[in-house]
Amino acid sequence: MPTQAIPMTLTQTLIMGVIQILAVLIVIFIIVPLTTFAERKVIGYIQVRLGATRLAGGHVGITGPMNRIMWGMGKVPMLSILRGLPIFIADALKLITKEDIIPAKADRGVFTLAPIISVMAAFGVFACVAYYPGVMFYMPKSWPVIGGLPFQGFITDVNVGLLFILGLASVGVYGIVLGAWASNSKYPLLGSLRSAAQIVSYEVPLTLSLLVPVLLSGSLSFKDMSVALSTGKDLNPLAIIPLFIGFFVYLTCGFAETNRVPFDLAEAETELVAGFHTEYSGMKFGFFYLAEYANMIVVSSLATAFFLGGHYLLPFGLQRFIPATMPIIGGPSFFFFFAKILCILFVFLWVRATLPRYRYDQLMDVGWKYLIPLTLVNLFLAAIIRFAF
Amino acid sequence: MSMLRTLIPFDIAGGMALTGKYFGKVFFSANRKKIRTQLKHFTQEYPEVKVNLAPRYRGRLTLLKDEQGEIKCVCCLACEKICPTEVITIEKGKKEGRKMPFPVRYDFEMERCIFCEFCVESCGFDSIILNHQFELATYNREDFSIGMEGAGQNMFIPSPVGRHSVAED
Repeated sequence: MPTQAIPMTLTQTLIMGVIQILAVLIVIFIIVPLTTFAERKVIGYIQVRLGATRLAGGHVGITGPMNRIMWGMGKVPMLSILRGLPIFIADALKLITKEDIIPAKADRGVFTLAPIISVMAAFGVFACVAYYPGVMFYMPKSWPVIGGLPFQGFITDVNVGLLFILGLASVGVYGIVLGAWASNSKYPLLGSLRSAAQIVSYEVPLTLSLLVPVLLSGSLSFKDMSVALSTGKDLNPLAIIPLFIGFFVYLTCGFAETNRVPFDLAEAETELVAGFHTEYSGMKFGFFYLAEYANMIVVSSLATAFFLGGHYLLPFGLQRFIPATMPIIGGPSFFFFFAKILCILFVFLWVRATLPRYRYDQLMDVGWKYLIPLTLVNLFLAAIIRFAF
Repeated sequence: MSMLRTLIPFDIAGGMALTGKYFGKVFFSANRKKIRTQLKHFTQEYPEVKVNLAPRYRGRLTLLKDEQGEIKCVCCLACEKICPTEVITIEKGKKEGRKMPFPVRYDFEMERCIFCEFCVESCGFDSIILNHQFELATYNREDFSIGMEGAGQNMFIPSPVGRHSVAED
């Protein structure tokens, strides 16, 4: 990690690494429950209702005594004032405290291993995601051991970061397939087989669409790619065309990779009971849930960094029209990155509330007949723009 | 052509635009108390906010009086006969200075009422209505028997509504 000029000892490197990992994890653990809450609200608004408006009324449980007192006074309990926001805490508490059932004929070891694989694959990817290209701030000088050390905007900057991300993200399908197989039940198995076929199919256009930024920036490191593509200094002005097409193809494949609507064949409620996590309950199910939302954040991060201008304001390399000397919008900022991630997460929910699920053959049609040729043409276009002009 | 439609998804864009429009409408009006009258969503936040009932909502049966304070009912017994669950009992009587018959007793057993509004439709003198009251739960069975006399519970005024509370036992 010590890419900066400041030399660091092994202890300092380890401590800073742990601090940065914890920071990223905390941010994820805040975003994921808020996304589930936002999912209720956004889908509610789109269906012309209000979504979750209150967390109140229970006479038992943790908030029970308080609710009883408030109802007794003739008032609606206090937690409803926050318009249902505490629901995300209630969700997490429910998942943690629920009974963890393992079916009698399940393969106990693999059954336990599967959610761990899923969540590891989803979280490990964050090691290479750069939230800020460079040092975000320096630790205070007065602190022992780590005083004055830089807090980077990324955990590590691997020079083949994109390969690492794509490779680790594909491991997530093992969690789905193994968990479904270990459940010893037919619906999970059907769901997982669909999911495996879908993820393997959509891996191809996903990677091909990500090759366009690789080709245009000439790098595989997450940070260098995002900086080169967003500032657009060495970029041909025509490069906006393949980037624009690539963004939509990438987003489509990202929906398929994360098993979200309209590609949620793995957990099609109407056909398979709940898909691959039918037999899961309690925190094991929570891990799958967490992995799905963490994957959504990964897809959003990649789309943001490579297509939407990453840490700079304008997408698709349009940032070159803003001089770097402008006070706020000229330079990189963590908040631009964060805001763009939130926007794409909103698009995830928006699409979920709008589009119906694809049939299995339609899914394969879209993947193999349309998206792969489109990405190949797009890649060819990018190559021409990169080397001919 | 289908190839083109798949590559350039106009249909998807159209659908997204529609849902986005509704999202915007509801999002900008949902949590603002000042414009409660022009809300875009259909959710009723019942205990805190008064419910918007439909004009023809069928609530509790109520006897009407005319401008002079006279009961409009003339004891034709149409409502009693048509009532499918036989919850209405009327006792005919006479009153001085009134040509038409006068209900001495008009009993309404709400616990069996199905709120079908046949009684109101059958009434030829517009002397009964179903009001807009729906918070009719009580703690005692006797409170469902509504007559013309009674403290807070009679046929002319709406039933007393308790605060939305739970039993304090």
